[in-house]
Amino acid sequence: MLMVLTPTLMLVPTIWATPAKWLWPSALLHSLLIALASFTWFKNTAETGWAFLTPHMATDPLSSPLLVLTCWLLPLMILASQNHLSSEPLNRQRMYITLLTSLQIFLIMAFGATEMIMFYVMFEATLIPTLFLITRWGNQAERLNAGTYFLFYTLAGSLPLLVALLILQNNTGTLSLLTLPFSNPLLLLTCSDKMWWAGCLLAFLVKMPLYGVHLWLPKAHVEAPIAGSMILAAVLLKLGGYGMMRMLIMLESLTNELSYPFIIFALWGVIMTGSICLRQTDLKSLIAYSSVSHMGLVVGGILIQTPWGFTGALILMIAHGLTSSALFCLANTNYERTHTRTMVLARGLQMALPLMTAWWFIAALANLALPPLPNLMGELMIISSLLNWSWWTLALTGAGTLITAAYSLYMFIMTQRGPLPMHMITLDPSHSREHLLIALHLLPLILLILKPELVWGWAA
Amino acid sequence: MLTRLSRFGPAFQQLLSNPPARFVSQSKPSSGAGSTAVTELHPAGQTAGHGEVSQYVKNPDYHGFSSDPVVDEWNMRVGFFFGISVALVIGGTFIHYLPDHGMRQWARREAERLIEQREKEGLPLIEENYFDPNKIVLPTAGEA
Repeated sequence: MLMVLTPTLMLVPTIWATPAKWLWPSALLHSLLIALASFTWFKNTAETGWAFLTPHMATDPLSSPLLVLTCWLLPLMILASQNHLSSEPLNRQRMYITLLTSLQIFLIMAFGATEMIMFYVMFEATLIPTLFLITRWGNQAERLNAGTYFLFYTLAGSLPLLVALLILQNNTGTLSLLTLPFSNPLLLLTCSDKMWWAGCLLAFLVKMPLYGVHLWLPKAHVEAPIAGSMILAAVLLKLGGYGMMRMLIMLESLTNELSYPFIIFALWGVIMTGSICLRQTDLKSLIAYSSVSHMGLVVGGILIQTPWGFTGALILMIAHGLTSSALFCLANTNYERTHTRTMVLARGLQMALPLMTAWWFIAALANLALPPLPNLMGELMIISSLLNWSWWTLALTGAGTLITAAYSLYMFIMTQRGPLPMHMITLDPSHSREHLLIALHLLPLILLILKPELVWGWAA
Repeated sequence: MLTRLSRFGPAFQQLLSNPPARFVSQSKPSSGAGSTAVTELHPAGQTAGHGEVSQYVKNPDYHGFSSDPVVDEWNMRVGFFFGISVALVIGGTFIHYLPDHGMRQWARREAERLIEQREKEGLPLIEENYFDPNKIVLPTAGEA
């Protein structure tokens, strides 16, 4: 654990001490080496249980894929931000990379936490750098509103979580994830117990987001700069899923009935947000609503609490993290050239940038869950486990799959096919940097087809 | 310069050299009008509105990293080498050769070994009882 955490901590002084010319290459180099070191977390020789154990941090098959995804994302964020920050003063560039690095530190400590209060503190701590990124480096005036929505939605959900965790600490004497699964089952009978149940889960449902409390997401994802959108879509949403999977062990008896409305909300959200995607004019907004749609399916898979549900949820979280981040990067390559996110203004790009079209195509196919990519494997496992719970969910999940395919293809056709508009007369060719960026998103996704047991979690 | 830029493909050059067929000619738009009706083509090398000059003008080998060509070249090398060759290839090889993930292959071998052993000894493959009956302590009939 320290083998990755210490270099990440030391990346901050490195950023501030590096001469201006070599800032970005040096940050990229070091973050790639840290990502390489993080691959050791994939080593999981036990059947279940904790590895890399220290008194405060550990990994297990649930958290190791998320940890590796977090560490993989930092070099990608650095690659993506390099161009649009090149005109900023040097110290602000250093500050930006420092914020990204601090996000990685908090996320590593959150996913590696063995104690729920540490997880909670890190969960909250990730809000601060993200808020800075959105409100300082976002491109439109709406970024202030977006930051407010982001901060207060998440805070409103997580303060009940703090109270719930303190109540749990009071009752069981410990909040250590190592021992809580083995504690006596809690007798949850009274109405206040049901409030406690809701308090435990609300923060994560807002973070995921569940349809109904999802309004912060389109704002935050759209107004954030590219690195902000990437980290939000790829990892911060998954903090919610991870938290839910950890908490649900304690909430066993009540969840069987109380989860009913939330599963329905989640599945309805898949359809609703998918339909909204079909009506979007703003490209980033489309990708943001697509994230809500996929995460709705993940919420359904988690609340079902079966082995396949958990496994499908984890696989879909990892696959969606890579896919969604890739789509935001692709949208950003458009934005840097045309300075508009409106799809009708930046379309027909296959004529101008055919190599980028290849990447758009693969990313769109990944988004609509084409086999044999892990996106499909996760979705299929969730849909199967939901079907086992109730046949009627097939109507919702089936329609959701259809709508997902429709809006992914809509996004591809709108941006790539058709005539090139007359007002686009000078577009820079695609940079090697951009090709590298998308390749580093999609190649790991394709490689995951070959070794899916890395992202199975302990359930399958 | 157009010829230099032409190596990026015929489509790019066509955009610059062929005037659009739907060329709307009208009086100069007032300051409030949007730019959707293009009445003047800007010369190549300038993007509309910002006065930005494409990086490819100064550095035809621009990779997207930095305006300094040396740093740009090295940044590209660092990114591709450490990103692809080291992280994906060497990292991928490391992941491929990780031992038995989750002990699945061990579990399979152990199960086959136990089945073979029990069949040889004539024992049942699996105990009937999940818990050892001798360890279950039941209350006697007299107690509540």
